[in-house]
Amino acid sequence: MALLKVQSLKKHFPVKKAFGETAQWLKAVDGIDFSVDENKVFVLVGESGCGKSTVARLVLRLITPTSGRVLFDGKDIFGLDGDSLKAFRKSVQIVFQDPFASLNPRKTVFDTISEPLKIHRITEKKNMKDACAELLKKVGLGTDIMNRYPHEFSGGQRQRICIARALAVNPKIIVADEPLSALDVSIQAQIINLLQDLRKETKIAFLFISHDLKVVHYFSDTVAVMYLGKILEHAKTEDLFMEPLHPYTILLLSSAPKVKTEAFSVQRSAFSDKKLQTPNSERQPDIGEVPSPIHIPSGCPFHPRCPKRFEPCDKIIPELKEAKGRLISCHLWNPY
Amino acid sequence: MSLLEIRDLNVSFRTKASPTKVVSNLSLDIKESEVFGLVGESGCGKSLTALSIMGILPPNAYAEGLINFNGKDLLMLDRESLRRLRGREIAMIFQEPMTSLNPVLTIGYQISEVMTTHLGLSKKDAFDRAVDLLRDVKIPSPEIRVKEYPHQMSGGMRQRVMIAMAVACNPSLLIADEPTTALDVTIQSQILELLQKLREERKMSILLITHDLGIIAENAKKAAIMYAGRIVELAEAGELFNNPGHPYTMGLLDSLPKEKGKPLKPIPGTVPRPDKLPQGCKFSDRCRFVVPPCRTEEPELKEVDGRHPVRCIRAAEIKWPY
Ligand SMILES: Nc1ncnc2c1ncn2[C@@H]1O[C@H](COP(=O)(O)OP(=O)(O)O)[C@@H](O)[C@H]1O
Ligand SMILES: Nc1ncnc2c1ncn2[C@@H]1O[C@H](COP(=O)(O)OP(=O)(O)O)[C@@H](O)[C@H]1O
Ligand code: SF4
Ligand SMILES: [Mg+2]
Ligand SMILES: [Mg+2]
Repeated sequence: MALLKVQSLKKHFPVKKAFGETAQWLKAVDGIDFSVDENKVFVLVGESGCGKSTVARLVLRLITPTSGRVLFDGKDIFGLDGDSLKAFRKSVQIVFQDPFASLNPRKTVFDTISEPLKIHRITEKKNMKDACAELLKKVGLGTDIMNRYPHEFSGGQRQRICIARALAVNPKIIVADEPLSALDVSIQAQIINLLQDLRKETKIAFLFISHDLKVVHYFSDTVAVMYLGKILEHAKTEDLFMEPLHPYTILLLSSAPKVKTEAFSVQRSAFSDKKLQTPNSERQPDIGEVPSPIHIPSGCPFHPRCPKRFEPCDKIIPELKEAKGRLISCHLWNPY
Repeated sequence: MSLLEIRDLNVSFRTKASPTKVVSNLSLDIKESEVFGLVGESGCGKSLTALSIMGILPPNAYAEGLINFNGKDLLMLDRESLRRLRGREIAMIFQEPMTSLNPVLTIGYQISEVMTTHLGLSKKDAFDRAVDLLRDVKIPSPEIRVKEYPHQMSGGMRQRVMIAMAVACNPSLLIADEPTTALDVTIQSQILELLQKLREERKMSILLITHDLGIIAENAKKAAIMYAGRIVELAEAGELFNNPGHPYTMGLLDSLPKEKGKPLKPIPGTVPRPDKLPQGCKFSDRCRFVVPPCRTEEPELKEVDGRHPVRCIRAAEIKWPY
């Protein structure tokens, strides 16, 4: 059974209107479905504003949906209260993009990490130091830093502290919203290795949000490509990178700048750049920018930018349907 | 011939104690009509190098050395000559266009102003040219957009406006400091394509500053890798990625995810602060190839066996891939 299941989820925000205007809605998340299994990494990828963080906030129960459901361990999270809500809060943890903003500057590392242990009564007071030391070791930090404050650490070290805090309560799933974006390349690699190790040692699942396709390919099992609040393509990571099918996925993959070197092409097997250059994925001529989620285009939301659009695209909304062993929302792949 | 020649540039900040040097003995040449890449992680001194060329360092910083642009030493020029040069012969665009656009003036006004100031055009002519420039940077319906304010535009469109302003007087050098870092990948590739097109049409050189190796690989002819205020390696872009000579460059390449599931080989440790650099080679405390002599004397940036310049005493022995 899926650990986390999202069904027909929508979040529409009201937009301030001038006097006499009809109400408008910003459709941040506009009917999406996906599930995350134990010990798996599910990625939401897409350009800024497509609704990724809104999905994260819904799944964490920080905001309520306009419609649709989020099931955790089979139960609707918006129906939880009391002990069941507390258990949910313990099972689902978050790591944010900005490790500077997400640590309290006035709390020592020990205070930060021991807090969830206290709240959820996981560790007795006398064992608290040992428990913290254990967690710090797990994320590759020395145990001698417990009495220091966040400002004394670099971005990478702070992100490790955030991960230790998330791990403290033995969560079943970690929602990671662009956890690497604020870090330098050399530090990103350190954190990716840490996350990989956690996957091997625990059964934690990840809902991972990213716009870095290299990282997505490397770290994930399943990918959903989002655009204007909808999922356009949903596939096994291998399949998506081997042969992207939706015109938007192709645009995204072909836009990402790549380092191509001889040394790399020898090492690369699955993620070979040659494969990314299949005839249907050459660099796409790109038309324009993402439209506003207040005025979502008719028909296929991607049609104004799509190099392959044809007769039905601006009239009929394509459904997300199975094609070639994955889900695609495009008239090319799902004759209407 | 080189358009820009930098020799032994040092940039320092005045502090209460002794000055902190943040760019050290930096030398490079940029040829006419080429894209020269400057790459490195945050804080390594890329922006301060650019600001030195433009002559707009923060008040508590100063530059020493030689910056020769078209036969003029920029560090010796008086304020007025430098002001005339800026915008006309050298122009710069930044990561966040909003910081350099005036929110209460239309973009048409702001683009025209560059041309009335530097080229002495009449207001009417300058405004007509502004519309043409917006068309050149591929802004749709330029006749309408020219009357808009910066906040009415997306990040990508604002960056196009900045580019239009920057190329308004046909500069021979454009400095682009992380021009696409704040943009999404699809917009990033449009902007980079636009810069390449303008470079070709106008025979303009570009100093392209970024932390993204992929951007350099796809756009630069030559590039320098910076670490802790120093250039540690300088080569043709293809050579740099296929035949890297400095352990830091190798470390950056190793940090990029490649084969799925295979552990990455990150560079250990963190970037040191400019006032807390190690003795000797500045990378020695993070380098997998370090030997005791590395920690005593700082290596020079020099060619070994006729290859491109590398700042490492072991450059001749270390082979890639290892
Ligand atoms: N509280 C809110 N009120 C109104 N609009 C919002 C709110 N939160 C997010 N949005 C809008 O919803 C859209 C999706 O935002 P977000 O989920 O943050 O995107 P992403 O994380 O993919 O960049 C954006 O257009 C954003 O401006
Ligand atoms: N106004 C300032 N005062 C003191 N130090 C500064 C200032 N601006 C930058 N620095 C320092 O100079 C170094 C180089 O900065 P910068 O050139 O902006 O780096 P980059 O552009 O490569 O990220 C950094 O380590 C930074 O801490
Ligand atoms: S449905 Fe049409 S417009 Fe949309 S992606 Fe497919 S071909 Fe392009
Ligand atoms: Mg977000
Ligand atoms: Mg900078």
